[in-house]
Amino acid sequence: MRFDPNALEDDTDAPTLPPVRAPARPFLWGTAGASALGAVFAAVSTRDFISHLDRQQHSIHCSLMPGGGASLGESGCRTVLMSPYSSVLRTELWGGVPISLLAFAVFAYLVYRSAATALEPRVTRRDAGYLWLATGLPAAMSVIYGLISTQALGAVCQVCLGIYISSTLAFVLAGLAFRGSEPTGGHASPWPMWGRWFAEGVVTVVALVGLYVAFAPKGAKDGQGCGVLAQTADPGHVLVPSPYSRGTSAVMVLDPLCPACRGFDKRLDASGLGARMDMKYVLFPLDASCNWMLTDSLHPGACAVSEAMLCDPNKAQQVLEWAFAHQEELLEGARKGDGPLRAELKMKFPHVQGCLGTNKVKAQLRKSLKWGVANAIPVLTPQLFVGERRMCDEDTDLGLEYTLTTMLNQVEGKR
Amino acid sequence: MNTGPKIPPIVLWLVSLALPAVLVIVWLRSAQAELNAAPESTQDVAVASMTDDDYCTADLKRVLRRVAGACGLLAGAGRGCQPSDAKTVAQMNDADFNALFGPMKDRTQIIQFDADDTTLDEVGRKAVEQAWATQGGASFFFVVSRASPDGNKDHNLELSKERAETVMKYITAQDPELEKQIGLLYLGEEYAQLSEEFCGWQRSRKDDECTTKDINRSAFVAWIDCAI
Repeated sequence: MRFDPNALEDDTDAPTLPPVRAPARPFLWGTAGASALGAVFAAVSTRDFISHLDRQQHSIHCSLMPGGGASLGESGCRTVLMSPYSSVLRTELWGGVPISLLAFAVFAYLVYRSAATALEPRVTRRDAGYLWLATGLPAAMSVIYGLISTQALGAVCQVCLGIYISSTLAFVLAGLAFRGSEPTGGHASPWPMWGRWFAEGVVTVVALVGLYVAFAPKGAKDGQGCGVLAQTADPGHVLVPSPYSRGTSAVMVLDPLCPACRGFDKRLDASGLGARMDMKYVLFPLDASCNWMLTDSLHPGACAVSEAMLCDPNKAQQVLEWAFAHQEELLEGARKGDGPLRAELKMKFPHVQGCLGTNKVKAQLRKSLKWGVANAIPVLTPQLFVGERRMCDEDTDLGLEYTLTTMLNQVEGKR
Repeated sequence: MNTGPKIPPIVLWLVSLALPAVLVIVWLRSAQAELNAAPESTQDVAVASMTDDDYCTADLKRVLRRVAGACGLLAGAGRGCQPSDAKTVAQMNDADFNALFGPMKDRTQIIQFDADDTTLDEVGRKAVEQAWATQGGASFFFVVSRASPDGNKDHNLELSKERAETVMKYITAQDPELEKQIGLLYLGEEYAQLSEEFCGWQRSRKDDECTTKDINRSAFVAWIDCAI
């Protein structure tokens, strides 16, 4: 089956179609059904996204059964939703405009277009051809997002999978409808009508996005931060260099074995906003073997990794990247004691030999923890201070780009 | 051929536009309401602080604050308290003063010295290091030095002062900044002499015989786990 829009203008000279042809109308209704299914999946995903705009934790639906599989825990759907690929305009709006909203608008439009075509007295090639082309958009986007999901994020989101399947189905059924459609007849160009229909689609998407932007929740403290640093000086030399070394001064309170820190680091990296910061790390391991503020270790082994980072702050990034890459196994291995982890650190990073475990580096780590005391920070990680102001915890995931951009602009504007 | 009633396409389009629009607006308004009602994110999270152990009773904290203040530790200036000052600020008898340190038995090292001497020997240095290494979240390292009643009272006062300073110099040799965490209290032979019971505590010359005189030729060192 080959698609040629010019062939639609005049069918009188076209080769005669096969005499027995599958009727187009059932395929059009099928296309409408597939689009409606896609709209339901997109709506579920949009609803999940919007629910997070109150800056709290919520369950996320993650099932091929629309509306099923709601869970608060980690899932492919949570990974995808929290990723920078889940929305656009993230620096202009808290969380940005979810891609699923665009999908919702497109599928709703396709339901309309399929139904309108199916309700026409004649299903012509012009009408069915446009629909086939239109269904190609979500199908192509599904391929792109499927690749991003598997290649860049390494996570599969069942609701997204539902959208991909619906898109593909709609595209295939629209193709079959085109194949079964009747010649248009006459010499009229299809482009004016296609232009009008395309404009309707654009209006549908723009209207939904406009409403979204207009009604998007606005926090009273957006970009204001949650607390300030009491002590900006670093007399104990506890600040450790990060890869970001140009721009506004910033401090990230970090535990190398904290999964949330790893996620935050990835999001910060993906945002590209690190390039605007001269960021330093303050090590704050949530491991009771060195952190007196805890009764139980949340991240056993974090003290040992932190010591290794402090042994040579200029090589701390190497240790951190290794710890992030092997976080689960390091945490698991250190549950029965950090001896093997210390041995592994010495083997992987020869420069920590003669330093790791010594009173000197332990005292330095204590100073790092006391930096937290001097600044009365909450006992949690990660935390980001931009200039002197602390980014609110609820702004560290979906709202990261918007909040960080706002805070950086404010600090840079004061200069 | 479709024979049903004809629905104008514009109606279908408006319905396809209105339905998602209404849903999205309802969801967004709900999220705004939730956001307005949301509590402070970190209000239930503990704030980073130094250790404040169970044994830090109000009485103990009051005494420590007075002693630390009189020693210039809280203000970060001045160092070394006179015995008379200690008596005044502690406002308690010798036995009660020593009893304050009872709960710190496991964290304390008693650094012993030779008679009429202020030299920190090898075992003394190790004991100081051992005590220093157990800081955890403690804010202040106290050195309470004494002398035995042998000899002149003023000489013994000077002797206890030098013993305290010897310990401090050893600790601060690598990092003078540490001085801000160390409180010195030298008592000479006048106040709060240790009883023989303290021979059973962790002391640097644990293998040597221990009398009341021996245990008072000493510097008592410990991190204090009280937020004062």
